[in-house]
Amino acid sequence: MHTLKIIDLCVSVDGKQILNKLNLVINSGEIHAIMGPNGTGKSTLSKVIMGDSNYKIMSGHIYFDDKEINDMAVDERARLGIFLGMQMPMEIEGVSNADFLRTALHNKNSEFKLYDFIKKMNSTVADLSMDKEMIHRGINQGFSGGERKKNEILQMYMLEPNTVLLDEIDSGLDVDSLRIVGEAVMNYYNHVKPGILLITHYQRLLDYIKPDFVHIMMGGSIVKSGDFSLVDLIEKYGYDLNKLGISTSVVEEIGSNE
Amino acid sequence: MNKIILDDVKVVDSVVDDCISYNLIDNEDVKVLNIDVLESCDLDLDYRFSSAKVEVCINVCSNIIFNVNEIISGESAKVRTKYVIDESSFVNVCKFNNIDSIKEYFVCNLNGVGASINYNLKTISINPENYEFLVYHNFKNTNSNICTNGVSIKDGSVLFNVSSFIGKDITGCVASQDNKIINLNDNECIIKPNLYIDCDDVSATHSAWVGSFREDELFYLQSRGIGRDDAIRLLISGFLTSNISDSLCDYIKNILDMYWR
Repeated sequence: MHTLKIIDLCVSVDGKQILNKLNLVINSGEIHAIMGPNGTGKSTLSKVIMGDSNYKIMSGHIYFDDKEINDMAVDERARLGIFLGMQMPMEIEGVSNADFLRTALHNKNSEFKLYDFIKKMNSTVADLSMDKEMIHRGINQGFSGGERKKNEILQMYMLEPNTVLLDEIDSGLDVDSLRIVGEAVMNYYNHVKPGILLITHYQRLLDYIKPDFVHIMMGGSIVKSGDFSLVDLIEKYGYDLNKLGISTSVVEEIGSNE
Repeated sequence: MNKIILDDVKVVDSVVDDCISYNLIDNEDVKVLNIDVLESCDLDLDYRFSSAKVEVCINVCSNIIFNVNEIISGESAKVRTKYVIDESSFVNVCKFNNIDSIKEYFVCNLNGVGASINYNLKTISINPENYEFLVYHNFKNTNSNICTNGVSIKDGSVLFNVSSFIGKDITGCVASQDNKIINLNDNECIIKPNLYIDCDDVSATHSAWVGSFREDELFYLQSRGIGRDDAIRLLISGFLTSNISDSLCDYIKNILDMYWR
Protein backbone atom coordinates (compact mmCIF):
# COMPACT_ATOMS: atom_id res chain seq x y z
CA MET A 1 0.00 0.00 0.00
CA HIS A 2 1.45 3.34 -1.11
CA THR A 3 0.16 6.86 -0.70
CA LEU A 4 0.96 10.00 -2.64
CA LYS A 5 -0.14 13.01 -0.63
CA ILE A 6 -0.07 16.60 -1.85
CA ILE A 7 -0.69 19.35 0.68
CA ASP A 8 -1.25 23.04 -0.09
CA LEU A 9 1.05 22.89 -3.08
CA CYS A 10 1.93 26.19 -4.75
CA VAL A 11 4.11 25.99 -7.86
CA SER A 12 5.46 28.54 -10.28
CA VAL A 13 7.20 28.37 -13.62
CA ASP A 14 9.19 31.29 -15.02
CA GLY A 15 7.95 33.43 -12.14
CA LYS A 16 4.27 32.76 -12.84
CA GLN A 17 2.24 30.85 -10.28
CA ILE A 18 0.50 27.84 -11.80
CA LEU A 19 -0.62 25.67 -8.86
CA ASN A 20 -2.36 27.30 -5.95
CA LYS A 21 -2.76 25.47 -2.63
CA LEU A 22 -3.55 22.20 -4.35
CA ASN A 23 -4.47 19.22 -2.16
CA LEU A 24 -4.78 15.62 -3.30
CA VAL A 25 -4.32 12.14 -1.84
CA ILE A 26 -3.92 9.05 -4.03
CA ASN A 27 -3.73 5.62 -2.43
CA SER A 28 -2.83 2.35 -4.09
CA GLY A 29 -5.84 0.86 -5.81
CA GLU A 30 -7.51 4.21 -6.42
CA ILE A 31 -8.07 5.76 -9.84
CA HIS A 32 -8.34 9.54 -9.87
CA ALA A 33 -9.20 11.60 -12.93
CA ILE A 34 -8.39 15.28 -13.15
CA MET A 35 -10.29 17.32 -15.69
CA GLY A 36 -10.35 21.01 -16.35
CA PRO A 37 -9.98 23.73 -18.94
CA ASN A 38 -6.74 24.26 -20.83
CA GLY A 39 -3.96 26.04 -18.97
CA THR A 40 -5.28 25.32 -15.52
CA GLY A 41 -2.20 23.46 -14.31
CA LYS A 42 -3.04 19.79 -14.85
CA SER A 43 0.18 18.92 -16.67
CA THR A 44 2.14 21.08 -14.25
CA LEU A 45 0.83 18.94 -11.43
CA SER A 46 2.09 15.74 -13.05
CA LYS A 47 5.48 17.26 -13.89
CA VAL A 48 6.02 18.66 -10.41
CA ILE A 49 5.15 15.33 -8.79
CA MET A 50 7.79 13.75 -11.03
CA GLY A 51 10.31 16.44 -10.07
CA ASP A 52 10.77 18.47 -13.27
CA SER A 53 13.25 21.21 -12.34
CA ASN A 54 11.48 23.74 -14.58
CA TYR A 55 8.77 23.94 -11.93
CA LYS A 56 9.51 25.65 -8.64
CA ILE A 57 7.69 24.63 -5.49
CA MET A 58 6.90 27.90 -3.71
CA SER A 59 5.23 26.28 -0.74
CA GLY A 60 3.44 23.10 0.24
CA HIS A 61 4.46 19.48 0.37
CA ILE A 62 4.51 16.32 -1.69
CA TYR A 63 4.72 13.16 0.39
CA PHE A 64 5.20 9.60 -0.79
CA ASP A 65 4.45 7.12 1.97
CA ASP A 66 4.84 9.92 4.53
CA LYS A 67 8.29 10.85 3.22
CA GLU A 68 8.56 14.33 1.79
CA ILE A 69 9.88 14.21 -1.77
CA ASN A 70 9.88 17.95 -2.60
CA ASP A 71 13.65 17.97 -3.08
CA MET A 72 14.14 14.42 -4.26
CA ALA A 73 15.85 13.82 -7.64
CA VAL A 74 13.69 12.73 -10.55
CA ASP A 75 15.26 9.28 -10.84
CA GLU A 76 14.89 8.64 -7.10
CA ARG A 77 11.18 9.39 -7.35
CA ALA A 78 10.93 7.00 -10.27
CA ARG A 79 12.69 4.30 -8.27
CA LEU A 80 10.16 4.80 -5.48
CA GLY A 81 7.62 3.64 -8.03
CA ILE A 82 6.23 6.87 -9.45
CA PHE A 83 5.72 6.81 -13.22
CA LEU A 84 4.72 9.65 -15.51
CA GLY A 85 3.24 8.77 -18.88
CA MET A 86 3.86 12.00 -20.73
CA GLN A 87 1.62 14.05 -22.94
CA MET A 88 4.39 14.59 -25.49
CA PRO A 89 7.02 11.89 -25.00
CA MET A 90 10.53 12.91 -26.06
CA GLU A 91 12.18 11.63 -29.20
CA ILE A 92 15.77 10.66 -28.46
CA GLU A 93 17.87 9.67 -31.45
CA GLY A 94 20.34 6.85 -31.12
CA VAL A 95 19.18 5.50 -27.74
CA SER A 96 17.16 2.41 -28.54
CA ASN A 97 14.02 1.60 -26.58
CA ALA A 98 15.57 -1.71 -25.57
CA ASP A 99 18.79 -0.12 -24.24
CA PHE A 100 16.78 2.54 -22.48
CA LEU A 101 14.49 0.09 -20.70
CA ARG A 102 17.31 -2.29 -19.90
CA THR A 103 19.27 0.56 -18.27
CA ALA A 104 16.19 1.72 -16.38
CA LEU A 105 15.47 -1.77 -15.03
CA HIS A 106 19.10 -2.31 -14.17
CA ASN A 107 19.06 0.94 -12.17
CA LYS A 108 15.93 -0.22 -10.39
CA ASN A 109 17.02 -3.76 -9.69
CA SER A 110 20.61 -4.95 -9.78
CA GLU A 111 19.38 -8.56 -10.03
CA PHE A 112 17.79 -7.77 -13.35
CA LYS A 113 17.63 -10.78 -15.69
CA LEU A 114 18.02 -10.23 -19.41
CA TYR A 115 16.03 -13.28 -20.51
CA ASP A 116 13.02 -12.30 -18.41
CA PHE A 117 13.29 -8.74 -19.72
CA ILE A 118 13.22 -9.83 -23.36
CA LYS A 119 10.39 -12.27 -22.77
CA LYS A 120 8.22 -9.72 -21.00
CA MET A 121 8.97 -6.98 -23.50
CA ASN A 122 8.08 -9.15 -26.47
CA SER A 123 4.78 -10.21 -24.95
CA THR A 124 3.84 -6.64 -23.95
CA VAL A 125 4.73 -5.32 -27.40
CA ALA A 126 2.38 -7.94 -28.86
CA ASP A 127 -0.39 -7.06 -26.38
CA LEU A 128 -0.12 -3.40 -27.36
CA SER A 129 -0.17 -4.25 -31.09
CA MET A 130 3.17 -2.52 -31.51
CA ASP A 131 5.65 -3.32 -34.25
CA LYS A 132 8.43 -5.48 -32.74
CA GLU A 133 11.01 -3.59 -34.73
CA MET A 134 10.20 -0.40 -32.76
CA ILE A 135 12.00 -1.82 -29.75
CA HIS A 136 15.28 -1.46 -31.58
CA ARG A 137 14.65 2.04 -32.87
CA GLY A 138 15.63 5.23 -31.08
CA ILE A 139 13.26 6.26 -28.30
CA ASN A 140 10.08 7.45 -30.03
CA GLN A 141 12.12 8.08 -33.16
CA GLY A 142 9.78 8.34 -36.13
CA PHE A 143 6.88 7.16 -33.95
CA SER A 144 3.40 8.53 -34.63
CA GLY A 145 1.53 10.21 -31.78
CA GLY A 146 -0.32 6.98 -31.05
CA GLU A 147 2.83 4.87 -31.14
CA ARG A 148 4.49 7.19 -28.65
CA LYS A 149 1.58 6.77 -26.25
CA LYS A 150 1.72 3.01 -26.60
CA ASN A 151 5.43 3.21 -25.92
CA GLU A 152 4.68 5.02 -22.67
CA ILE A 153 2.35 2.20 -21.67
CA LEU A 154 4.99 -0.36 -22.65
CA GLN A 155 7.42 1.40 -20.30
CA MET A 156 4.82 1.37 -17.54
CA TYR A 157 4.42 -2.38 -17.90
CA MET A 158 8.15 -2.98 -17.90
CA LEU A 159 8.93 -0.73 -14.92
CA GLU A 160 5.92 -1.86 -12.83
CA PRO A 161 5.31 1.38 -10.96
CA ASN A 162 3.03 1.57 -7.92
CA THR A 163 1.85 5.09 -8.68
CA VAL A 164 0.97 6.01 -12.25
CA LEU A 165 0.45 9.52 -13.58
CA LEU A 166 -0.98 9.58 -17.11
CA ASP A 167 -0.98 13.00 -18.72
CA GLU A 168 -3.43 13.05 -21.62
CA ILE A 169 -2.49 9.54 -22.60
CA ASP A 170 -5.51 9.57 -24.92
CA SER A 171 -4.36 12.46 -27.13
CA GLY A 172 -3.23 11.43 -30.58
CA LEU A 173 -4.88 8.02 -30.38
CA ASP A 174 -7.30 6.70 -32.96
CA VAL A 175 -10.34 4.70 -31.83
CA ASP A 176 -8.60 1.32 -31.94
CA SER A 177 -5.44 2.55 -30.25
CA LEU A 178 -7.51 4.25 -27.55
CA ARG A 179 -9.21 0.94 -26.82
CA ILE A 180 -5.89 -0.92 -26.73
CA VAL A 181 -4.28 1.65 -24.44
CA GLY A 182 -7.36 1.94 -22.22
CA GLU A 183 -7.62 -1.84 -21.83
CA ALA A 184 -3.88 -2.15 -21.23
CA VAL A 185 -4.02 0.42 -18.41
CA MET A 186 -6.98 -1.37 -16.84
CA ASN A 187 -5.27 -4.72 -17.19
CA TYR A 188 -2.22 -3.32 -15.42
CA TYR A 189 -4.47 -1.83 -12.74
CA ASN A 190 -6.23 -5.15 -12.18
CA HIS A 191 -2.94 -7.00 -11.73
CA VAL A 192 -0.85 -4.46 -9.80
CA LYS A 193 -3.45 -2.19 -8.16
CA PRO A 194 -1.40 0.97 -8.41
CA GLY A 195 -2.69 4.40 -7.57
CA ILE A 196 -3.53 6.11 -10.87
CA LEU A 197 -3.89 9.78 -11.68
CA LEU A 198 -5.42 10.36 -15.11
CA ILE A 199 -5.29 13.77 -16.70
CA THR A 200 -7.71 14.01 -19.57
CA HIS A 201 -10.01 16.33 -21.45
CA TYR A 202 -12.33 13.71 -22.80
CA GLN A 203 -14.80 11.19 -21.50
CA ARG A 204 -13.82 8.68 -24.18
CA LEU A 205 -10.77 7.48 -22.20
CA LEU A 206 -12.98 7.05 -19.15
CA ASP A 207 -15.11 4.59 -21.10
CA TYR A 208 -12.20 2.19 -20.56
CA ILE A 209 -10.63 3.40 -17.34
CA LYS A 210 -13.26 4.02 -14.72
CA PRO A 211 -12.10 6.50 -12.07
CA ASP A 212 -13.14 6.21 -8.45
CA PHE A 213 -12.69 9.94 -7.98
CA VAL A 214 -13.10 12.80 -10.44
CA HIS A 215 -11.62 16.21 -9.73
CA ILE A 216 -12.21 19.48 -11.52
CA MET A 217 -9.21 21.75 -11.60
CA MET A 218 -9.36 25.48 -12.20
CA GLY A 219 -6.88 28.24 -11.53
CA GLY A 220 -4.31 25.81 -10.20
CA SER A 221 -6.55 24.23 -7.56
CA ILE A 222 -9.03 21.41 -7.31
CA VAL A 223 -12.37 23.17 -7.04
CA LYS A 224 -14.66 20.18 -6.98
CA SER A 225 -14.32 16.46 -6.40
CA GLY A 226 -16.86 13.74 -6.88
CA ASP A 227 -17.55 10.37 -8.39
CA PHE A 228 -17.96 9.34 -12.02
CA SER A 229 -21.23 11.27 -12.29
CA LEU A 230 -19.16 14.46 -12.40
CA VAL A 231 -17.80 13.34 -15.79
CA ASP A 232 -21.31 13.23 -17.20
CA LEU A 233 -21.98 16.74 -15.93
CA ILE A 234 -18.80 18.07 -17.55
CA GLU A 235 -19.72 16.33 -20.79
CA LYS A 236 -23.13 17.93 -20.64
CA TYR A 237 -22.35 21.45 -19.42
CA GLY A 238 -18.64 21.95 -20.02
CA TYR A 239 -16.98 23.95 -17.26
CA ASP A 240 -19.98 26.14 -16.50
CA LEU A 241 -19.48 26.81 -12.79
CA ASN A 242 -23.13 27.22 -11.90
CA LYS A 243 -24.25 24.07 -13.63
CA LEU A 244 -21.41 22.08 -12.09
CA GLY A 245 -22.43 23.35 -8.68
CA ILE A 246 -19.16 25.18 -8.08
CA SER A 247 -19.47 28.35 -6.06
CA THR A 248 -18.01 31.29 -7.98
CA SER A 249 -16.60 32.52 -4.68
CA VAL A 250 -14.28 29.50 -4.60
CA VAL A 251 -12.83 30.40 -7.98
CA GLU A 252 -12.67 34.09 -7.08
CA GLU A 253 -10.79 33.20 -3.92
CA ILE A 254 -8.27 31.23 -5.99
CA GLY A 255 -7.92 34.19 -8.35
CA SER A 256 -7.19 36.54 -5.47
CA ASN A 257 -4.48 34.21 -4.18
CA GLU A 258 -2.68 34.09 -7.54
CA MET B 1 35.63 -7.53 -46.27
CA ASN B 2 38.53 -5.43 -47.53
CA LYS B 3 40.77 -4.05 -44.83
CA ILE B 4 43.81 -1.80 -44.65
CA ILE B 5 45.62 -1.14 -41.37
CA LEU B 6 48.09 1.71 -41.42
CA ASP B 7 50.46 3.04 -38.77
CA ASP B 8 52.85 6.00 -38.88
CA VAL B 9 55.21 4.47 -41.41
CA LYS B 10 53.70 1.48 -43.15
CA VAL B 11 50.71 -0.64 -44.02
CA VAL B 12 50.68 -3.07 -41.12
CA ASP B 13 48.14 -5.42 -42.59
CA SER B 14 45.80 -5.51 -45.53
CA VAL B 15 43.27 -7.76 -47.17
CA VAL B 16 41.92 -6.46 -50.45
CA ASP B 17 40.23 -8.12 -53.39
CA ASP B 18 40.10 -7.11 -57.05
CA CYS B 19 37.70 -4.27 -56.29
CA ILE B 20 40.44 -2.19 -54.74
CA SER B 21 44.03 -1.33 -55.55
CA TYR B 22 46.26 0.73 -53.32
CA ASN B 23 49.81 1.90 -52.78
CA LEU B 24 51.66 3.80 -50.10
CA ILE B 25 54.15 6.45 -51.16
CA ASP B 26 56.70 7.32 -48.51
CA ASN B 27 57.56 10.95 -49.01
CA GLU B 28 59.92 12.39 -46.46
CA ASP B 29 57.47 14.56 -44.57
CA VAL B 30 54.18 12.90 -45.43
CA LYS B 31 52.94 9.40 -46.23
CA VAL B 32 50.52 9.21 -49.13
CA LEU B 33 48.07 6.33 -49.32
CA ASN B 34 46.39 6.07 -52.72
CA ILE B 35 43.31 3.90 -53.03
CA ASP B 36 41.44 3.22 -56.26
CA VAL B 37 38.01 1.71 -55.94
CA LEU B 38 37.14 -0.14 -59.13
CA GLU B 39 33.96 -1.98 -58.19
CA SER B 40 31.31 -1.86 -55.50
CA CYS B 41 32.70 -3.04 -52.19
CA ASP B 42 33.18 -2.38 -48.48
CA LEU B 43 36.46 -1.30 -46.89
CA ASP B 44 37.66 -1.03 -43.30
CA LEU B 45 40.36 1.60 -42.82
CA ASP B 46 42.13 1.38 -39.49
CA TYR B 47 44.73 4.06 -38.77
CA ARG B 48 46.89 3.71 -35.65
CA PHE B 49 49.08 6.77 -35.33
CA SER B 50 51.62 7.89 -32.76
CA SER B 51 52.73 11.03 -34.57
CA ALA B 52 51.79 10.93 -38.21
CA LYS B 53 51.31 13.19 -41.17
CA VAL B 54 49.28 11.30 -43.72
CA GLU B 55 47.50 12.01 -46.96
CA VAL B 56 44.85 9.58 -48.16
CA CYS B 57 43.56 9.85 -51.74
CA ILE B 58 40.55 7.74 -52.62
CA ASN B 59 39.34 7.62 -56.20
CA VAL B 60 35.97 6.01 -56.75
CA CYS B 61 35.13 4.94 -60.29
CA SER B 62 31.68 5.46 -61.81
CA ASN B 63 28.54 3.44 -60.98
CA ILE B 64 29.87 2.07 -57.68
CA ILE B 65 28.54 1.74 -54.18
CA PHE B 66 31.42 2.04 -51.75
CA ASN B 67 31.02 1.66 -47.98
CA VAL B 68 33.88 2.74 -45.74
CA ASN B 69 34.34 2.14 -42.02
CA GLU B 70 37.20 4.29 -40.80
CA ILE B 71 38.84 4.40 -37.39
CA ILE B 72 41.66 6.69 -36.32
CA SER B 73 43.23 5.91 -32.97
CA GLY B 74 46.48 6.64 -31.19
CA GLU B 75 48.26 9.80 -30.08
CA SER B 76 48.62 12.51 -32.69
CA ALA B 77 47.96 12.95 -36.39
CA LYS B 78 47.53 15.38 -39.22
CA VAL B 79 45.38 13.74 -41.86
CA ARG B 80 44.34 15.00 -45.29
CA THR B 81 41.72 12.87 -46.99
CA LYS B 82 40.67 13.47 -50.56
CA TYR B 83 37.77 11.71 -52.22
CA VAL B 84 37.11 11.92 -55.93
CA ILE B 85 33.79 10.34 -56.77
CA ASP B 86 32.80 9.70 -60.36
CA GLU B 87 29.43 9.61 -62.08
CA SER B 88 26.52 7.85 -60.35
CA SER B 89 28.68 6.47 -57.58
CA PHE B 90 27.66 6.51 -53.93
CA VAL B 91 30.14 6.61 -51.07
CA ASN B 92 29.02 5.99 -47.51
CA VAL B 93 31.63 6.83 -44.87
CA CYS B 94 31.21 5.89 -41.21
CA LYS B 95 34.13 7.20 -39.24
CA PHE B 96 35.20 7.27 -35.61
CA ASN B 97 38.14 9.18 -34.22
CA ASN B 98 39.54 8.18 -30.86
CA ILE B 99 42.90 9.87 -30.87
CA ASP B 100 44.61 12.16 -28.38
CA SER B 101 45.01 15.01 -30.83
CA ILE B 102 44.12 15.48 -34.49
CA LYS B 103 43.97 18.01 -37.29
CA GLU B 104 41.99 16.72 -40.21
CA TYR B 105 41.38 18.17 -43.63
CA PHE B 106 38.78 16.53 -45.83
CA VAL B 107 38.07 17.31 -49.46
CA CYS B 108 35.44 15.63 -51.55
CA ASN B 109 35.05 16.25 -55.26
CA LEU B 110 31.77 15.03 -56.68
CA ASN B 111 33.09 14.65 -60.18
CA GLY B 112 30.27 13.16 -62.17
CA VAL B 113 26.53 13.54 -62.63
CA GLY B 114 24.72 11.78 -59.79
CA ALA B 115 27.78 11.28 -57.60
CA SER B 116 26.91 11.16 -53.89
CA ILE B 117 28.58 11.07 -50.51
CA ASN B 118 27.09 10.31 -47.13
CA TYR B 119 29.68 11.12 -44.48
CA ASN B 120 29.27 10.42 -40.77
CA LEU B 121 32.04 11.43 -38.40
CA LYS B 122 31.98 10.66 -34.68
CA THR B 123 34.73 11.81 -32.39
CA ILE B 124 35.59 11.95 -28.72
CA SER B 125 37.86 14.92 -28.11
CA ILE B 126 40.16 14.87 -25.08
CA ASN B 127 42.50 17.52 -26.56
CA PRO B 128 41.87 20.21 -29.17
CA GLU B 129 40.70 18.82 -32.51
CA ASN B 130 40.37 20.82 -35.73
CA TYR B 131 38.42 19.67 -38.74
CA GLU B 132 37.98 21.28 -42.11
CA PHE B 133 35.58 19.78 -44.63
CA LEU B 134 35.28 20.96 -48.21
CA VAL B 135 32.70 19.40 -50.49
CA TYR B 136 32.65 20.45 -54.14
CA HIS B 137 29.59 19.71 -56.22
CA ASN B 138 31.26 19.89 -59.61
CA PHE B 139 28.46 18.23 -61.58
CA LYS B 140 24.68 18.35 -61.74
CA ASN B 141 22.46 16.18 -59.54
CA THR B 142 25.21 15.48 -57.03
CA ASN B 143 24.40 14.87 -53.36
CA SER B 144 26.31 15.40 -50.16
CA ASN B 145 25.21 14.69 -46.62
CA ILE B 146 27.87 15.67 -44.10
CA CYS B 147 27.12 14.74 -40.52
CA THR B 148 29.75 15.56 -37.91
CA ASN B 149 29.25 14.67 -34.24
CA GLY B 150 31.76 15.35 -31.49
CA VAL B 151 31.84 14.97 -27.72
CA SER B 152 34.30 17.21 -25.93
CA ILE B 153 35.62 16.02 -22.56
CA LYS B 154 38.69 16.55 -20.34
CA ASP B 155 40.93 19.09 -22.17
CA GLY B 156 39.08 18.65 -25.42
CA SER B 157 37.67 21.18 -27.81
CA VAL B 158 36.35 20.76 -31.31
CA LEU B 159 36.24 22.98 -34.38
CA PHE B 160 34.11 21.84 -37.30
CA ASN B 161 34.52 24.08 -40.32
CA VAL B 162 32.25 22.62 -42.97
CA SER B 163 31.89 24.12 -46.44
CA SER B 164 29.80 22.96 -49.37
CA PHE B 165 30.24 24.51 -52.80
CA ILE B 166 27.74 24.49 -55.66
CA GLY B 167 28.71 26.57 -58.65
CA LYS B 168 26.69 28.37 -61.29
CA ASP B 169 24.47 26.12 -63.46
CA ILE B 170 25.22 23.03 -61.34
CA THR B 171 21.53 22.31 -60.94
CA GLY B 172 19.63 19.59 -59.09
CA CYS B 173 22.15 19.17 -56.27
CA VAL B 174 21.41 18.37 -52.64
CA ALA B 175 23.82 19.66 -49.99
CA SER B 176 23.08 18.85 -46.39
CA GLN B 177 25.10 19.52 -43.25
CA ASP B 178 24.27 18.35 -39.75
CA ASN B 179 26.92 19.32 -37.21
CA LYS B 180 26.66 18.81 -33.49
CA ILE B 181 29.10 19.08 -30.60
CA ILE B 182 28.22 17.97 -27.10
CA ASN B 183 30.45 20.03 -24.91
CA LEU B 184 30.95 18.43 -21.48
CA ASN B 185 33.71 20.81 -20.36
CA ASP B 186 34.17 24.58 -20.33
CA ASN B 187 36.40 24.79 -23.41
CA GLU B 188 35.28 26.59 -26.51
CA CYS B 189 33.83 24.48 -29.29
CA ILE B 190 32.97 26.00 -32.65
CA ILE B 191 30.94 24.99 -35.68
CA LYS B 192 31.20 26.98 -38.90
CA PRO B 193 28.61 25.70 -41.36
CA ASN B 194 29.13 27.29 -44.78
CA LEU B 195 27.03 26.84 -47.89
CA TYR B 196 28.51 28.58 -50.92
CA ILE B 197 25.80 28.30 -53.53
CA ASP B 198 25.66 30.10 -56.85
CA CYS B 199 22.68 28.29 -58.32
CA ASP B 200 18.92 28.51 -57.68
CA ASP B 201 17.87 24.96 -58.39
CA VAL B 202 19.41 23.20 -55.39
CA SER B 203 18.31 21.89 -52.02
CA ALA B 204 20.60 22.97 -49.21
CA THR B 205 20.17 22.57 -45.46
CA HIS B 206 22.35 22.87 -42.42
CA SER B 207 21.99 22.52 -38.69
CA ALA B 208 24.49 23.22 -35.95
CA TRP B 209 24.37 22.63 -32.21
CA VAL B 210 27.01 23.25 -29.59
CA GLY B 211 26.07 22.62 -26.00
CA SER B 212 25.21 19.95 -23.52
CA PHE B 213 22.31 17.54 -23.70
CA ARG B 214 18.85 19.03 -23.39
CA GLU B 215 17.36 19.02 -19.91
CA ASP B 216 14.05 17.63 -21.19
CA GLU B 217 15.89 14.63 -22.64
CA LEU B 218 17.59 14.04 -19.30
CA PHE B 219 14.29 14.48 -17.48
CA TYR B 220 12.67 11.85 -19.69
CA LEU B 221 15.39 9.30 -19.00
CA GLN B 222 15.57 10.12 -15.29
CA SER B 223 11.80 9.82 -14.99
CA ARG B 224 12.26 6.13 -15.72
CA GLY B 225 14.63 5.69 -12.80
CA ILE B 226 17.90 6.21 -14.63
CA GLY B 227 20.44 8.22 -12.58
CA ARG B 228 21.75 11.43 -14.13
CA ASP B 229 25.24 10.03 -14.85
CA ASP B 230 23.80 6.93 -16.49
CA ALA B 231 21.37 9.10 -18.44
CA ILE B 232 24.24 11.19 -19.80
CA ARG B 233 26.17 8.05 -20.64
CA LEU B 234 23.15 6.66 -22.49
CA LEU B 235 22.75 9.89 -24.44
CA ILE B 236 26.45 9.94 -25.35
CA SER B 237 26.22 6.36 -26.54
CA GLY B 238 23.16 7.16 -28.63
CA PHE B 239 24.76 10.30 -30.02
CA LEU B 240 27.96 8.56 -31.07
CA THR B 241 26.38 5.41 -32.48
CA SER B 242 23.43 6.76 -34.43
CA ASN B 243 23.59 6.42 -38.22
CA ILE B 244 26.73 4.28 -37.99
CA SER B 245 27.36 0.78 -39.33
CA ASP B 246 26.82 -2.07 -36.87
CA SER B 247 30.46 -3.12 -36.78
CA LEU B 248 31.65 0.41 -35.99
CA CYS B 249 28.84 0.75 -33.48
CA ASP B 250 30.17 -2.20 -31.46
CA TYR B 251 33.68 -0.76 -31.56
CA ILE B 252 32.46 2.65 -30.34
CA LYS B 253 30.47 1.08 -27.51
CA ASN B 254 33.60 -0.68 -26.26
CA ILE B 255 35.50 2.61 -26.33
CA LEU B 256 32.71 4.34 -24.43
CA ASP B 257 33.02 1.73 -21.69
CA MET B 258 36.60 2.89 -21.22
CA TYR B 259 35.60 6.53 -20.74
CA TRP B 260 32.30 6.14 -18.94
CA ARG B 261 32.36 2.81 -17.18
